[in-house]
Amino acid sequence: MSNRRLLVFNILRGVAAIMLALAVAAVFIFLTSKEPLTAMKYLLLGPLVSFKATGLVFNSTGLFTILAAMIPTIFTGLAVCVMFSANQFNLAGEGVVMLGGFVGALCGIYLKINSPLHPVVCVLVAAAVGGVIMLIPALLKVKLGASEMVTSLMLNYIIMFVVLHFLNYNFADRTKGSTQTYPILDTARIPEIIANGTKLTWGFVIAIIFVVLVALFMYRTKWGYAIRMIGINQSFAKYSGMQVGAMIVLSQVIGGVLSGMGGSIEVLGRFNSFLWKELPGYGWAGITIAILAKNNPIFVPFAAFFIAYLNKGCQQMATYSDVPSEMIDIIQAAIFLFFAAEQFLAKYRQKIVVKNTQMDLANQAKAAANAEGGSH
Amino acid sequence: MFEQFLSTILKAEFLFSVIRITAPILFAALGAVVAEKAGVVNIGLEGIMMISALFGVLFSYWTQSWLIGVLGALVIGVLLSLMMGFFAFKLKTDIILAGIAVNMLGAGGTIFLLYMFTGMRGNTGALVTPNTLIPVVNIPLIKDIPILGEVLSGHSVLTYVAFLFVWLLWAVLYKTSIGLDIRAVGENPDAAGSVGISVERIKYIAIAISGALAGLGGAFMSMYYSQGWNSGMVAGRGFIALAAQAMGRGEPLGTMLSSLLFGLAQALRTKVSGLQGVSSYLVSVIPYVVTVIGLVIYAASTMQKVKKHHTKAQKGA
Amino acid sequence: MEQEDFVVQMKGISKVYPNGIAANQHVDFFVRKGEIHALMGENGAGKSTLMKILFGLEEPTDGEIIVNGEQVHLTSPSVAISKGIGMVHQHFMLVPSLTVAENIVLGMAPKKSGIIVDYKKAVEITEENAKRFNLLVDPNAKVMDIPVGMKQKVEILKALVRGARILILDEPTAVLTTQETGELFKELVSLKEQGFTIVFISHKLNEIKQITDRLTIMRNGKSMGVYETAGISEAEISRLMVGRDVVLSVQKEKSKPEGSVLKVRDLEYTNKWNKKVLDGVSFSVRRGEILGIAGVEGNGQRELVEMLFSLNVPDAGTATVNGENILQTEQRAIREKGVSLVPEDRMVYGIAGPATIEENVISDRYSKKQFNKGALFNVKGIHSESDHLIADYRILCKSRKQQVKMLSGGNIQKVVVARELSSKPKLIIADQPTRGIDVGATEFIRAKIVELSRAGAAVLLVSADLNEVIELSDSLIVMYGGKIVAYFDDTSQLDDMVMGEYMLGLKHQTDEEIRRVCYE
Repeated sequence: MSNRRLLVFNILRGVAAIMLALAVAAVFIFLTSKEPLTAMKYLLLGPLVSFKATGLVFNSTGLFTILAAMIPTIFTGLAVCVMFSANQFNLAGEGVVMLGGFVGALCGIYLKINSPLHPVVCVLVAAAVGGVIMLIPALLKVKLGASEMVTSLMLNYIIMFVVLHFLNYNFADRTKGSTQTYPILDTARIPEIIANGTKLTWGFVIAIIFVVLVALFMYRTKWGYAIRMIGINQSFAKYSGMQVGAMIVLSQVIGGVLSGMGGSIEVLGRFNSFLWKELPGYGWAGITIAILAKNNPIFVPFAAFFIAYLNKGCQQMATYSDVPSEMIDIIQAAIFLFFAAEQFLAKYRQKIVVKNTQMDLANQAKAAANAEGGSH
Repeated sequence: MFEQFLSTILKAEFLFSVIRITAPILFAALGAVVAEKAGVVNIGLEGIMMISALFGVLFSYWTQSWLIGVLGALVIGVLLSLMMGFFAFKLKTDIILAGIAVNMLGAGGTIFLLYMFTGMRGNTGALVTPNTLIPVVNIPLIKDIPILGEVLSGHSVLTYVAFLFVWLLWAVLYKTSIGLDIRAVGENPDAAGSVGISVERIKYIAIAISGALAGLGGAFMSMYYSQGWNSGMVAGRGFIALAAQAMGRGEPLGTMLSSLLFGLAQALRTKVSGLQGVSSYLVSVIPYVVTVIGLVIYAASTMQKVKKHHTKAQKGA
Repeated sequence: MEQEDFVVQMKGISKVYPNGIAANQHVDFFVRKGEIHALMGENGAGKSTLMKILFGLEEPTDGEIIVNGEQVHLTSPSVAISKGIGMVHQHFMLVPSLTVAENIVLGMAPKKSGIIVDYKKAVEITEENAKRFNLLVDPNAKVMDIPVGMKQKVEILKALVRGARILILDEPTAVLTTQETGELFKELVSLKEQGFTIVFISHKLNEIKQITDRLTIMRNGKSMGVYETAGISEAEISRLMVGRDVVLSVQKEKSKPEGSVLKVRDLEYTNKWNKKVLDGVSFSVRRGEILGIAGVEGNGQRELVEMLFSLNVPDAGTATVNGENILQTEQRAIREKGVSLVPEDRMVYGIAGPATIEENVISDRYSKKQFNKGALFNVKGIHSESDHLIADYRILCKSRKQQVKMLSGGNIQKVVVARELSSKPKLIIADQPTRGIDVGATEFIRAKIVELSRAGAAVLLVSADLNEVIELSDSLIVMYGGKIVAYFDDTSQLDDMVMGEYMLGLKHQTDEEIRRVCYE
């Protein structure tokens, strides 16, 4: 019973954090916009609602677009969940998404394979490359104790420049005005679930399947269990006989595999060729999502939906008002800060705990009194 | 090509550029040093540099005074770091996550703020006038010494400030009471707390100094180095600074030396990318790779020391 | 009694920690001016919490505090210090890399020209006060280089320099030798004569009898009353502390030891401060017997246990379990050889606090076949295993899904013990297995250890609790200064006084006598 009260508290606390973040956004909008109400309207409702003369109309295309936007961030969110669960602050998801997208695209352009198998091969190759590249920060951490945080941040830049090098010097389609690869073969494209141009591809289904797989992995396998225990208390894990080093490496390799998959599925589903010229930002979004999901894979799709919704809202706001879409970064940072704040509203939590304990003590006293009364 | 390369780097001009490029990394790295001494990991340096770089330009444009611009950047750096501190110390957000949030603000938030304040997108090229740039100083006497003068004289005011701060920070940490408090808090917060030092207050002070230094680094980037703000400007220098701090063993002097190493890598990159037939992208990787290698060597050498103690055991057995 | 008599009045103090543990429940605590007042109780009785509240380190959930007749809100140590309260903590609150003088003036450093620390002045202050209070220290030595006894003097000086008139000492003798303890007591009495008030936390009866005027006893977070020291017997004190007449004799049959399971030979270890912590340690533990290691803490016991579980690396020597090496191997391999460890520091090694009871009890066996079905966990198997352990080891909890950190200290230790003793171990290393837990859990755990040893396990018991180690062990060694200084093959006739002499290094047996513990 008391546990349920704490759960309710935790949910309310999350909602309060989000409301506060939106309030911060509102303050910025009211301070700087000439048409704050319009901006707010599009930010909050725009993603799913069309504003017609007759009133508000539900916009199904909007929903499809949001779901489509969740595909890469579900993968990066899952990746971060696994790595952060092991207490590994590996932030290279960002770079690995780009690398995965690039490798996936190259496979889609140069490998000649029949249709249903082609994208599968592309994604698997991208996933493998992503996993291998994460061995760098992981092994440096385990073997030498080098901070995975710093090496992974550096890795992001290294990956970006190396990809851009190969894109420009080896694989560019010179017939095009901007730098991009040759077109991805049709056999390698990941098709839409419903062909309506919203880019909601089968990638979404794969993403949801991976949510379940990663959740099973984390909560129903010995490896996931070991990863979580290492994240909670590494000394305990070592003393218990877990292979701490191997599991730390494994968590980061899985993070790389998932990020690589996310990047390739995004590129093969959304674009005709590879044309990213900078880091796509999905890695950072993945961190926000993992924080919102409290590192629990099951919550990742909801968090990803929320972030995608906000993103779309910001785009709508930028289109129909004078507030630029980068507002999203301010909202995200604010949510991030409040959500990760353990002591946010902690006084109320303490009150609940005190109340529960007092009730427990009272019950114990009552039970003891009853027992004594019974013995007479 | 190799000769051509050698001849470019063996010039006073090259050493000059090493110093120039080192300065912003040094500012941020010193920021990392002071935070770390108080037991605070400040990974928000990157974001703080971005945001204060932007405000440096804006303040100097509004006031047409570079000095106010620099001070404004410093103040913004302090405010941002205090915000990080508030979340980390008061609300117990993991300090690393608080840092990531500040970096998010630095990445997209700056573009938003720039647009809101000026209607511009991506960079501030149009706002920059000579008044708003940090001036260059020629040091009398030294500037006339051949080679040495070319290397050491003619830098921006802030470049000298950066190197001056190495000494200053050392003096603050090891000679003043606040430095004593900072070191005590970093090494044994319970001990510091038990004699009535407010651990939280000292951490706020340390992270504020850290933010001020990163703010100066940001101002240096936008108001001198790249003469205007643009969204890709800081390019990981805040992160490199963390590596420099680690390699410098957390001491001001050591951190200056490792910052110079990274400055050298950056300067090499600039020189090499000027050469014919070299991929500018691959060259761009140099500073980051050097950082990783530096970190690895540092980590390996630390590990070696621990191992030495252990191998002694096996020999004995 | 006149109100003005009291320098400290704590009334109706309650404290509930965020994990729901009620450490203090309506505690009253009154201290007279100029007395030495003992605060007694078992570990976990709430003494430390009460004193942390008085020193502003914890805020009470309820209750009021009056110091020198003035109602105060002690929100931080600096407020407490300003009210003349000083505290000497059990774990020294010193900064190792700073000098003694720097530590003493920390937070109030003398300055010249506003901000620069006047180090000379700091040394002067230190020397002056050291002389005045007769607490001799070396102001220029770094704290990491000085002996324990001097560290404690530095701690007391720190409080006095800050104007403390009320001194709280949290188990000050726990880390001291007899001589040092004697010296400390002299110093405390002299401070009392100068008008200082001293609160002395301890659970050592003889010490309390020796120097205190009055005492307050705590049990289970509640005060059991205040007494004049002269007017209460030791038996009465222990009855109030543990809630019954102390029966320490553990029921056990005589052991029938056979063949050595653990063989440790010539173990050497020098720590990073160049102190020789283990010096030629050799012994064996046999099947079916409990070998105890007695000794004052800090004489190498901790390091020895670390070596035996590969949590540290010795400089020389061997250790084998049934003939197989266990030094510098993976913990998994050590456990596979049938070794279990109940670790001294249960919060660091023993548990993962935020994880569930179930996740904690399976941490050594989760990869075993019976708990896995293909790639997935055999959830049912794991549930039944944890339910069995919860029942067998009488872990009081709401369900197997409850977070371990929400349990009481005794139940947390039962979680650890349930895991370590249920894996059919051939060798059990129990390091301070009952420290700081309630009497019920203590008895239960001791009985389990005896039960397993009688069923054929070899047990190595390390305990700083002399009663425990004598009562529970079949045979016993004493460690002093990193060496084994005595071996007793029969604990039934052991006398505390003799043991004390060995533990304090006043006596030691001949090498031949000690060598008997190798059973060769």
